[in-house]
Amino acid sequence: MSDIAVVGGQAARRDSASVATADSWRPPDTRRVLQLALAVIWLLDAVLQYQSFMFTKGFAQMLAGTASGNPRVIASPINWDANLVQHHAVLLNTVFATIQLLLALGIACRPTVRVALAASIGWALGVWWFGEGLGEVLNSAASPVNGAPGAVIIYALLAVLLWPSDRHAATAPFAAARAVGAPVARALWLVLWGSLAYFALMPGNRAPQALSSMIAGMASGEPGWLAALDNHAASLLAHQGLAASVVLAVALGLIAVGVYLPRSAARATLVLAIVLAAVIWIFGEAFGAILAGGATDPNSGLLLILLAVTYWPTRTAAAAAVAAERAGAEEATA
Amino acid sequence: MMTPSWILDILAAVMLLVAAISAGRLVAARPRAGSTGDADIDIAHLLMGIAMAGMLVASLITLPNGWWDAIFAVLTVWFGWRVYRESRGQGARVLADGHHMPHLVHSAAMLYMFVALNATAVGSGGGMSGMGGSSSATQTLRAPVVAFIFILWLAAYVVLDLDRLSGPGHGHGSYFVRPALVGATAGTGSVSLAASAVSAGTSAGVPAGQDQPADSSHPAGEGLPATGRRSASARALLLSPRAAAGCRIAMGVTMAFMLVIMI
Repeated sequence: MSDIAVVGGQAARRDSASVATADSWRPPDTRRVLQLALAVIWLLDAVLQYQSFMFTKGFAQMLAGTASGNPRVIASPINWDANLVQHHAVLLNTVFATIQLLLALGIACRPTVRVALAASIGWALGVWWFGEGLGEVLNSAASPVNGAPGAVIIYALLAVLLWPSDRHAATAPFAAARAVGAPVARALWLVLWGSLAYFALMPGNRAPQALSSMIAGMASGEPGWLAALDNHAASLLAHQGLAASVVLAVALGLIAVGVYLPRSAARATLVLAIVLAAVIWIFGEAFGAILAGGATDPNSGLLLILLAVTYWPTRTAAAAAVAAERAGAEEATA
Repeated sequence: MMTPSWILDILAAVMLLVAAISAGRLVAARPRAGSTGDADIDIAHLLMGIAMAGMLVASLITLPNGWWDAIFAVLTVWFGWRVYRESRGQGARVLADGHHMPHLVHSAAMLYMFVALNATAVGSGGGMSGMGGSSSATQTLRAPVVAFIFILWLAAYVVLDLDRLSGPGHGHGSYFVRPALVGATAGTGSVSLAASAVSAGTSAGVPAGQDQPADSSHPAGEGLPATGRRSASARALLLSPRAAAGCRIAMGVTMAFMLVIMI
């Protein structure tokens, strides 16, 4: 039993032995906080999926649109799926939204976190194909500014990196390495950000008006202040497509290799990653067009920020143990 | 085409259930000598449940929008003051760990929803209850970025609640503490009841309301007739942190849904 006494507005807790020690509630560690952040984003996705628009044929048309430009083997299943959704819009969209809601609640509940994370990987891969057309990576339309390589694939990546396993916890230099180990985590980071750098330099993205048009196109339907920001950014980048693409690619490349640099330099590149992802999220993605209505997710910017945080260098468990041992020895000497 | 009405009906039913549970909590924990309780939180949940049901289903409207504006303005100020009092002891930690912070956010979100809907939509749709009807297409929120911030905040509290409820030693910490015990002295019947409610379901492996004593004079309902034991168990379950957190989770998800649908 727990008795609480409050004196003068300040709480003082007195717990009996029966509920103290091992069973007491402990604040979540860094990885758990990141898992909860992922759950928040899944919950956001779920409520977005319940929007009125998603129950219309417009949603099916949106899905069908992602087939365009993809190889036949990829496009055919997308068209089949879009056709199915068109004929059973209410039922299937309710199922989709509810699955995402369950994923969010499952990740938030400690006993179900593994099941929910595993399910989220499968779901994300399915949505990446059937809902995002593999993020347009195969049809030359992918751009880091418009959400390539597909926001939903980053959900899957985060689920892998935040898997509640501590096989490599003792030597993990950041939270993302605790389950898969630092070499694998770094390689995944390199592939993701390296691919973004590659996409930035594709012919369609380095055309003089490419970036400007992309950003200007996001202003439609947005609140006045956000539309003004987008239009201003678009005018700044007008006819600067090549230069902007090169600068973007260099920055993305630097970020890609940043996790292999010494700790202080790695931190600097992670700050760059967070800032760049925020800029992309605000200017290039207009917060995933959520404020304009009809969005299915917050797009990639927010997820890239979360991903960067999972790579933030922390003291390894081994280093912490050595430090604690040293402190203990000094204390004994004194 | 609008959001299917059956989804709105289900959510309205859930909100009415939340209101009923909150009313039950108020009755079960009615203040006695020296006990202040969490009555403000239960009253807030009761009012929010009724208001949200009316927003979701037109036939469940109970009060004009202006009244709800005033009610949620008062609740927002009240919980703002409670959070301020808490912050003097806890500092900025109160934002994530405060007992009253989620209720401040919920009250403010309700106030925002009632105030921010533009005048055209309110006039044409019979108030926000038109969300489920023909007027929803015309309903747009002013300052949608504020709605977005509220959605993220509400989602964060839902997730935090679930994490705490499912973790070891759930129900402890200031987040779940019931000020029913504030200033109370151990040994009185009301304190024992409230204390058992706090601990109900918090001991590992003990389902809420089953093995927890509802009254110190009758540990685990011993010595009471069967109906008395059932009543004591029901009261302990109703007053458990799980019941309060469940109400908060249901309201958080529903409120986030409503904000998204109004953008």
